[in-house]
Amino acid sequence: MSETTTFRAAMLGTGLALALMGSATAGEYNLTVDPVEIDTGAFSRSGVGFNGTSPGPVLRFREGEAVTINVTNNLDQNTSVHWHGLILPYQQDGVPKISYPGIAPGETFTYRFPITQSGTYWFHSHSGFQEPDGAYGAIVIEPKDREPFRHDREYVVQLADAHPHSGDRIMRNLKMMPDYYNRQQRTLLDFFDDAEEKGVDAALRDRGDWGDMRMMPTDVEDLQGFTPLINGKGPEQNWTGLFRPGERVRLRFINSSAMTYFDIRIPGLKLTVVQADGNNVQPVVVDEFRIAVAETYDVIVQPTENRAYTIYGESMGRTAFARGTLAPREGMAADVPELREPPLLTMGDMAGHAGMDHGSMDHAAMGHGSMPKGAMDHAAMGHGSMPKGAMDHAAMGHGSMPKGAMDHAAMGHGTMPKGEMDHAAMGHGSMPKGEMDHAAMGHGSVPKGAMDHAAMGHGSMPKDGMNHADPFYAPGSGLRPEAADGGRFLSYADLKAQKPLYEHRPATREIELKLTGNMERYIWSINGVKYADADPIRLTYGERVRFKFVNTTMMTHPMHLHGMWSILDNGSGKWNPVKHVISVAPATTVYMETEVDAPGQWAFHCHLSYHADSGMFRKVVVEGGPDTASAAASMKSGG
Amino acid sequence: MKHLLSAVAFLVPALLPGVPLLAEPNVWGIQVEQSEYRVGGDTDVAAWDLDAFYGNDELRFVYRSEGEYALEEESFETLENQFRLSTPISDFFDGVAGVRFDTASGPDRLHGVIGIHGLTRQWFEIDADLFVSDHPSVRFEVEYEGLITNRIILVPSIELDVPLVDDLALDRAAFSPKLEVGARLSYDVIDRLFSPYVGVHYERTFGQSANLVRAAGEDASAAFLVIGARMMF
Amino acid sequence: MSTQTRLRACALALAIASVPSLALAAGDHAHGHGKGPDIGKPGEAADVSRTISITMHDNLYEPETLKIREGETVRFTIVNRGEFVHEFNIGTATMHAAHQAEMMGMMESGVLEPDRINHGKMDHGGHGMKHDDPNSVLLEPGQSGEIIWRFPDHATLEFACNVPGHYQSGMVGRIHLSH
Repeated sequence: MSETTTFRAAMLGTGLALALMGSATAGEYNLTVDPVEIDTGAFSRSGVGFNGTSPGPVLRFREGEAVTINVTNNLDQNTSVHWHGLILPYQQDGVPKISYPGIAPGETFTYRFPITQSGTYWFHSHSGFQEPDGAYGAIVIEPKDREPFRHDREYVVQLADAHPHSGDRIMRNLKMMPDYYNRQQRTLLDFFDDAEEKGVDAALRDRGDWGDMRMMPTDVEDLQGFTPLINGKGPEQNWTGLFRPGERVRLRFINSSAMTYFDIRIPGLKLTVVQADGNNVQPVVVDEFRIAVAETYDVIVQPTENRAYTIYGESMGRTAFARGTLAPREGMAADVPELREPPLLTMGDMAGHAGMDHGSMDHAAMGHGSMPKGAMDHAAMGHGSMPKGAMDHAAMGHGSMPKGAMDHAAMGHGTMPKGEMDHAAMGHGSMPKGEMDHAAMGHGSVPKGAMDHAAMGHGSMPKDGMNHADPFYAPGSGLRPEAADGGRFLSYADLKAQKPLYEHRPATREIELKLTGNMERYIWSINGVKYADADPIRLTYGERVRFKFVNTTMMTHPMHLHGMWSILDNGSGKWNPVKHVISVAPATTVYMETEVDAPGQWAFHCHLSYHADSGMFRKVVVEGGPDTASAAASMKSGG
Repeated sequence: MKHLLSAVAFLVPALLPGVPLLAEPNVWGIQVEQSEYRVGGDTDVAAWDLDAFYGNDELRFVYRSEGEYALEEESFETLENQFRLSTPISDFFDGVAGVRFDTASGPDRLHGVIGIHGLTRQWFEIDADLFVSDHPSVRFEVEYEGLITNRIILVPSIELDVPLVDDLALDRAAFSPKLEVGARLSYDVIDRLFSPYVGVHYERTFGQSANLVRAAGEDASAAFLVIGARMMF
Repeated sequence: MSTQTRLRACALALAIASVPSLALAAGDHAHGHGKGPDIGKPGEAADVSRTISITMHDNLYEPETLKIREGETVRFTIVNRGEFVHEFNIGTATMHAAHQAEMMGMMESGVLEPDRINHGKMDHGGHGMKHDDPNSVLLEPGQSGEIIWRFPDHATLEFACNVPGHYQSGMVGRIHLSH
């Protein structure tokens, strides 16, 4: 044989060998959906995973890459894979009956889409309760440009709330008995404690108030009895990430839980939040942050000491904790803090449910019961020139008004110049610090610098005298988080986009979505209508919709819109952060805006698994936009 | 009586239309409120009270079974099987309609059932049923779940059964009620799956019914100590 | 000389002699914050040995580190090519930590916005609200600044941006002082 022929033969042979290897070439990835065994250290159970494990692998993509992902279903039931937070053509979004029919047992579906973003994201099954049963994994996308922060190493820190019961069984139990999993309910012994603390009358009245509503102040976690995991490891198994003292470590926190919010801190380390939901934010240094279900936060820490640090995630209801370690060597552990006292919801969290006591002047009897704020015309009643302080709110039965309830604008006090409001004369003079809830008074989204401290008589306030309330919790809410070791707790109000993705423009229309539910029947819905009975939400390509979430329930809901970004309105104008999950606390109203630039149809739902399944879900149909018929043809799955 | 029964029978299919039984996943469950051994009275009694359901948020099929088996006499003092359809009529209440078969010792009875079931303010769970037949009656039950701790639960209960028409074959006189009062203290051993309890059970028949019962050689009242288990799966 | 005069002369001599040691104890401070570590002092233009140009991007410096000779006087020309306000500040890590707290205060009071400096508000409060130390410049996007700095003989110095969060994001570099 000539040299050329030998050479050609060798090349052919090598080419064939490579082709036959079966391993994916750059841009092509293979996933299988498998039944797996899950061992949390506290219990074992069978569940669902990817490529033989739960959590599944970390998929690493590059911004600008065109990926091909072959997903093979090795289960005996339909499955699906949804790429949470990724912007892609709707047929690639992975939601059965909205994007595609799903992946039948034994079938392989090939996803093909371009990667047009960078950051930390995740993927999970969108069929049945496969996700709570373990079908989740992480996505890390390397950016094409340099990031506005540096780190020497990085780790994915993926949280989950593994439960010994299967998702189907949990749903059934919750339908049978909504407090099936709640072992933190108010007991007789608690009543004795309350009576001792505040007197029998107050304790009885408290029980009576909640009993009247048939609601529980302990209704923070629907699902208890889970074992929190970090990267698939329970607290005893202690997931560990190594570092060299002095290094900057990037931690990609992903909350892949079914139902649980975690409050994360690393005792001894400050956390610099640099990304939220995959998008860069102007860096903010905190001591602790709350991560809602399905959210991601990328933080930078710089451990300087040659010792171990505990990564500690307390569940929001304080029933369990996730625990991992950052250490210079394997096998080290630092102190693990104790769980704090469980929070109790307050009447502040009970929007509209709490009874209202109007005192001796019975407006209701006079037929004035449902008067809107501001309708009462004091001048017409001859009360016009009342000196400041003369109006006795308590005597009128307005004494126990929740903060923020008094609508100054509606009462005609709207255009009061700064400094005019005489708090002392109104009897608010000796208000303790922290008592004045600015957010509740509607001063929450005041641009920085607008507040004129000198004019308010606060000119000579000592440093740290001001205790900022979190406008994303109801005034007086029992859920408002505080940093365990003092220090700063991250608020949605602290998030500002590093680089806005869209031009800042006014919304073209507003859509109100009331978050509703019936705890006793364990039915969760939007505007009182379950998914099965609802019409899709129709949006027009090119518009900018302002969504108004009004939470009428006493639970916190992480609302997730597929396929398009949710620009949270936290008063930062063009710096409003760009997210994909918006958490709405009880009795609050939160606004977010979406530039409707993704044609097709998309899921929009509460990401608490058992809420989504019981009806807190909608299909969003985007009408108009570039013709996707040819795109659909080219996206047809192979194999 | 037959047309009364048919009226109830019509109610049942009236609940069906417009219900997307196939659109939503159905759930099922079995709740055994009582399964116990009662000591006292004339004779020890084995008793049970269970609900099994299947359906969705709009419509549920419920099978309710109650029984009291007198061990010495080897016969059923009570054996009721109800087949009900339940649908929400308000946030906290369901309306129910169905049939009840009584096959305890003595003549069998068949009744239509119309009632409500739900949770009142301050957490009282109530059942109020009208049994429609030649021997109609009303029954009212109240139960309260008192948490001593998160696992130790005390459930007091009251049941009042009032015949509306004489049923002499079963020693029941019109408007002479039978009262059952109980208190059961349980401990959740495994989730809500298995919760053994001990308690007391007291029953008493009043008025003319009491006379009828005594004439038949039975006691008009009885008190029992009970031991049993609550189960839910 | 009488005894009294001799005593007075001695006392005076002692007093004069102790001045240098007092100065030594106080440290060679070049900034308005009173005593502190020796980080150098503003230099004379005539002594400048070279010019180093520093480019500030969003949350990083070019170059990432500096190699300076002990005692050298360097002119820094600094330009902000980012979209946010940045600082170029020469000091120790401890000083930077303290300055971060001050700048946090400036942000909270509205003196400092992410992409703007509100000079008008700077005269508002007391200490900490102004930003006119010779060892640092605070620049809006597109602005340029200059520092002429004479480095000390021994010190562990960093150049850093103390706008909240920037230091922690990596906007800090070592200054390697060599003989």
